[in-house]
Amino acid sequence: MLAIEATGLTKHFGPTIRAVDGIDLRVEEGQIFGFLGQNGSGKTTTVRMLATLTRPTAGTARVAGVDVLANPAEVRRRVGVALQEVGLDELQTGRELLELQGRLFGQSAREARERAAHLLEVVGLADVADRPIRGYSGGTKRRLDLACALVHGPRVVFLDEPTTGLDPVSRDAVWRYIEELNRGQGVTVFLTTQYLEEADRLADTVAIMDQGKIVAQGPPGELKASIGTDSIMLTFEAEESAARAAAVLGQFEGVQRVLTSGQEVAVYLHDGASAVAAIVRLLDEAGAPAQTLVLKQPTLDDVFLQVTGHHLDVEDARPAAPSSGRNA
Amino acid sequence: MNGITATWLLTVRAFRESLKQPANELPNAFIPLFFYVVTVGAIGSVAQNAFGVADYKGFQLPVAVLQGAAGVANGAGLAMTLDIQSGYFEKLALTSTPRLAIVLGRMLADAIKAVILAGAIIVLALLYGSEFKTGIPGMAVLMAATFGFALAYSGIGVAIALKTGSPQAAQAGFIVFFPLLFLAPTFAPIEVFAAWLEAVARLNPVTYILLGMRSLVTEGWDAAALAKGGVAVLAIGAVTLTLTLLALRSRVRQ
Ligand SMILES: Nc1ncnc2c1ncn2[C@@H]1O[C@H](COP(=O)(O)OP(=O)(O)OP(=O)(O)O)[C@@H](O)[C@H]1O
Ligand SMILES: [Mg+2]
Repeated sequence: MLAIEATGLTKHFGPTIRAVDGIDLRVEEGQIFGFLGQNGSGKTTTVRMLATLTRPTAGTARVAGVDVLANPAEVRRRVGVALQEVGLDELQTGRELLELQGRLFGQSAREARERAAHLLEVVGLADVADRPIRGYSGGTKRRLDLACALVHGPRVVFLDEPTTGLDPVSRDAVWRYIEELNRGQGVTVFLTTQYLEEADRLADTVAIMDQGKIVAQGPPGELKASIGTDSIMLTFEAEESAARAAAVLGQFEGVQRVLTSGQEVAVYLHDGASAVAAIVRLLDEAGAPAQTLVLKQPTLDDVFLQVTGHHLDVEDARPAAPSSGRNA
Repeated sequence: MNGITATWLLTVRAFRESLKQPANELPNAFIPLFFYVVTVGAIGSVAQNAFGVADYKGFQLPVAVLQGAAGVANGAGLAMTLDIQSGYFEKLALTSTPRLAIVLGRMLADAIKAVILAGAIIVLALLYGSEFKTGIPGMAVLMAATFGFALAYSGIGVAIALKTGSPQAAQAGFIVFFPLLFLAPTFAPIEVFAAWLEAVARLNPVTYILLGMRSLVTEGWDAAALAKGGVAVLAIGAVTLTLTLLALRSRVRQ
């Protein structure tokens, strides 16, 4: 069964803003689906439509087997949602908030109490659970918000940029938690992110959003492979051995291009990983052994660049992208 | 989730909020009591001669109760805007709870607070020397009426809050409706009003709520006055609940 299925899903705000512009989604049960796009590309709007918070302008969607327009209450029962902005009542304690959330999903007082205690343990909030949320740090609030999304044991979870703004340690903890949720409990995860490495590490399938449209979709490996070319960077003892190596490598099957620059040789070819061993052997036989060898595969950033014409532009966490990528 | 249980859970949450920040509730208790004492002090001794009201303390008692209820009932709208701004409203809207429960929970908490305040005002007024013609049963009826009025009145702020999400708008809405409490026989009987004010007061549902409550304090059981008051509460409630439902729809289906 498909966990999420959308056809022609569209949301316009007023006559000019096409936040989501007719997207089709098919997310298999048990997958982590990475929804990648830069600011304003329509990620949150998509999540809100799938989570029954925003009414689509057009199109249909089924989530966990239920139509979001025909039966939104049943969809809410089956999905967990952690929105981009945490939504917490600062006056309650973490425990009160989680227990109330559980009860509003129909749990008995006792069930809600046990479930809240368990989740507080899982997200590492047991020691602050009885303090007012007002005093929590940003990362702590985010973890509580995440726990809220899981309180009723949903089979499909939407996480809208769950790691944005977290420090590397917390980010890693969230990643591991998402993996455990997915691998351990089989929960389908719809994850939006601006971080390529996050999508790359976690997602079984990635969709790249640009200006309200999905411009590429598939497993990260396939998307990267579709770019075609890997590169192998070699350095040699002397220019002379580099030249000899370049001549030999030019004849190697699958090599598209060889560039020599002093003691360095760059080889461009399909599927570099499986060619590495043969290349090393060939160079040894030719009496020009490489001193260093680096295999570079296309990254999702290369994919992003190819399908959108610009780099993924994220303010924090990475050096500024070329100016063509900025849109605001 | 069952709507009644959910409403109650959210009422308890709203109530706890008040217990956690009691200072927010103080003005709601202070203002009506202050006006009560000051008005009685200023006009009480001439009320008999000026417009034939012997027990002005009793005459003013329901005014204080309504003023208190209106003040308290303003809280729901404001609190709702805070929930909307913090995103907690959406968190609640993502549960399987009927969304009306999120709204009713808040309104119900205010209505209960208004009843508690009404009880306190009655006790203080009695200590101050007011009489209460219909005794304990009448007090119970007055508190029930207060509950209905506060519930209905809180719908104004809640509807504005849901429609706009703005605390300023919720507050402004309250200010627009507050005069209704004074376009009524608040300080003197309607018979002594200027003609235009009497005409306005007779169109104002608050007039009938006030007269019904006042009859319990100063006159005794008056079925007609109580019936009119009850109809007025239901009328206000019908209007504000409709507005609230419309505003709720527009908020959750945007
Ligand atoms: N309620 C709204 N009213 C008007 N325009 C909106 C509304 N919500 C979103 N938009 C617009 O729709 C577009 C997509 O917004 P959305 O929040 O879905 O993007 P996003 O991919 O989640 O961005 P970010 O990475 O910044 O969170 C943006 O141009 C945004 O300004
Ligand atoms: Mg977003």
